[in-house]
Amino acid sequence: MRTWKILMAGLGLLSAAPSPALAKVHVFACAPEWGALAEEIGGVHVEVFVATTARQDVHHVRAKPSLLVAMRKADLVVCSGAALESGWLPILLKKAGGPDVQPATAGYLMASDFVPLIGARKEADRSLGHIHPEGNPHVHLNPNNLLPVARVLAERLLILDPDNLEDYSGSFKRFETGWMALVASWKEAAAGLEGAKVVVYHDAWAYLLDWLGIEKIASLEPKPGLPPTASHLEAVLQAVDGRDVRAILVAPYEDGKAADWLSGRTGIPVLRLPYTVGGSEDANDIESLFAETMEMLKGVR
Amino acid sequence: MKNQSFLAASAVVLLGASPAFANDAEIDALRAELAAMRVMYESKIDGLESRLAEMEARQVESASRVEPAAGNTAPGVPATGNRRVTDNSFNPAIGVMLQGKYKAFSENEADLAGFAVGHEGERGEEGLSVEHTELNFSASVDDKFYGSTTIALAEHHGETEVELEEAFIQTLALPYGASLKGGRFFADIGYLNAHHAHSDDFADRPLPYRAFLNGAYNDDGLQASVILPSDLYAEVGAGLFRGKDFPAGGNEGSDVGSWTAFARTGGDIGDNTAWRAGASALLADVQSRAANEGNITFRGDSDLYIADVRLTFAPTGNANRQELILQGEYFWRDENGAYNDVAFDESQRGWYAQTVYKFAPQWRVGARYSELHADAVPAGLAGTALDDGGHDPWAATVMGDWTNSEFSRLRLQYSYEELANELEDNQLTIQYIMSIGAHGAHPF
Repeated sequence: MRTWKILMAGLGLLSAAPSPALAKVHVFACAPEWGALAEEIGGVHVEVFVATTARQDVHHVRAKPSLLVAMRKADLVVCSGAALESGWLPILLKKAGGPDVQPATAGYLMASDFVPLIGARKEADRSLGHIHPEGNPHVHLNPNNLLPVARVLAERLLILDPDNLEDYSGSFKRFETGWMALVASWKEAAAGLEGAKVVVYHDAWAYLLDWLGIEKIASLEPKPGLPPTASHLEAVLQAVDGRDVRAILVAPYEDGKAADWLSGRTGIPVLRLPYTVGGSEDANDIESLFAETMEMLKGVR
Repeated sequence: MKNQSFLAASAVVLLGASPAFANDAEIDALRAELAAMRVMYESKIDGLESRLAEMEARQVESASRVEPAAGNTAPGVPATGNRRVTDNSFNPAIGVMLQGKYKAFSENEADLAGFAVGHEGERGEEGLSVEHTELNFSASVDDKFYGSTTIALAEHHGETEVELEEAFIQTLALPYGASLKGGRFFADIGYLNAHHAHSDDFADRPLPYRAFLNGAYNDDGLQASVILPSDLYAEVGAGLFRGKDFPAGGNEGSDVGSWTAFARTGGDIGDNTAWRAGASALLADVQSRAANEGNITFRGDSDLYIADVRLTFAPTGNANRQELILQGEYFWRDENGAYNDVAFDESQRGWYAQTVYKFAPQWRVGARYSELHADAVPAGLAGTALDDGGHDPWAATVMGDWTNSEFSRLRLQYSYEELANELEDNQLTIQYIMSIGAHGAHPF
């Protein structure tokens, strides 16, 4: 009986603790691109924590203590969604996330909920590898997708922090205007890429290729999420033979051995595109990520 | 609801294509409304669906506006907010864990010198077996609670038994990093205890888990925990339990039979390394605890203290390609009561240390050493299983496993165990662990 009373008293104390003043909006971004976008829209009013680096595979992250601490503080969680982070984000949310960042709250923003997904499947079977029936989750590499996400981000920020609503709407409008011009210029400069053929390591590039009209001939992974095998690479070698494949696309966190092997056999260059902010030395914000990517893709023509 | 639609409308005005800043008074009025919104998070939730529907309409519009000539994204593809699929499209998520083993031992006996162990603490049976098949159902109950149950079908001496491993609810919406868990669950003590055996790095649990916790402590109770608002991870928690599961036992009354407490900390060292360390206690008021096939019964206070540490290292923090894990736990148990009605006031100790090295995306090797020590027993217990005969049980284990995908793993393991005088047991285990259906994420 006494134990109960002590426990209940303890819980009462916890729930009566004063709410800390919301000086800055704490944003928990699952990946660098969403962190950079949050900085872009939130400016000085947000404090962004980025859970992963460009050298880490967002599919496979451990729900480690430092992430629990960051989730504990989060006012807004911004991730790709479509099950990309399903191996670790649910643990963090359940264990450390407050009531205002749970699914179906303003503090929970999954980018893939707000853009058209490609590669959605009606039927899913695990014999197909690590697939996402909801659709391909690597949505940020089509720059058109960043605009609706930036808009929702601004809306969420002004719900969470209405004191600074002019700043949020102002920075969104600036971003919108600038971004539309940039996207148009990138697309124009990349006109020659349409119809070009590439090999990818993983389908992480689907949105980029879709945007630019580049055709994927093969993946080095035999099935999504499984590392390349010798027999599969032989098959890829056959598939690219005589088809004018211009590049092998590899993300910074992916193993380059298979790509190097194929490159050595065929002379097709390996392109290590930045994939996300921080993925190369010059890709240090959203704009330079695409500028750098487009610059590197020039070689594909 | 009125506030809600007003907010949505004002968001449209503020962020939409046509700038509509009229005058300061209007902005002030807007701001007041928005400030009111801030405290009404519940209305945020039920208003979200309509907001999403609205956004949906606008995205299609804005997508086409940004790039009118886009030929690649099919026009009219709905950008919806209803794609919130987590584990699978079922509610609840259903998962089945299939596990099978082949085991061969060189010795017929495997008693632990100085210890009386429960059923799950024994070394298991030789030959082919499916051991544990786990069925898990889990889902958010609603916006405030999460529920999960794991039912295990286990083979014991040729019979299939149904075990309720876990059946708990957990709060989702408590602020300040607090969480409450109630029902039957694996208590948060030590490192391995709160983890399901299918996620273990070896085919069996180390000796201290077998001797002190009968594999793992899962009991009916309530646990509260809180993650402190510090920059370094710090979590504290406490629980109270019925006192039915080993090392507790036999509690039938209304009293709480056992108590737990834990404290943990952890963090990162650069991008490559993450660590966690903890201390915990399990204090049991044992009414009657049967062990060694019912031959030995303990009554009294059984207090167990555990220290645990774990460290993971991966180049650039990318555990998908290579990873090194170091892990160890130290156990100290103080018992004051009676074994088979012989007064007993002694302590026992044990520890293990293990390392697992993932050298390629699908391949891992590991090594583990574990050891136990029991103090000398009173004269009345000489010659029983509690009399260690001057021998400290120890075991050395190596394993290699192949993980085709995150849902399947095959393992080969070899152990050498000297658990009692003149016992030199060579053990071979071949194991598969496979998951079908939904499979939840694993904690650090």
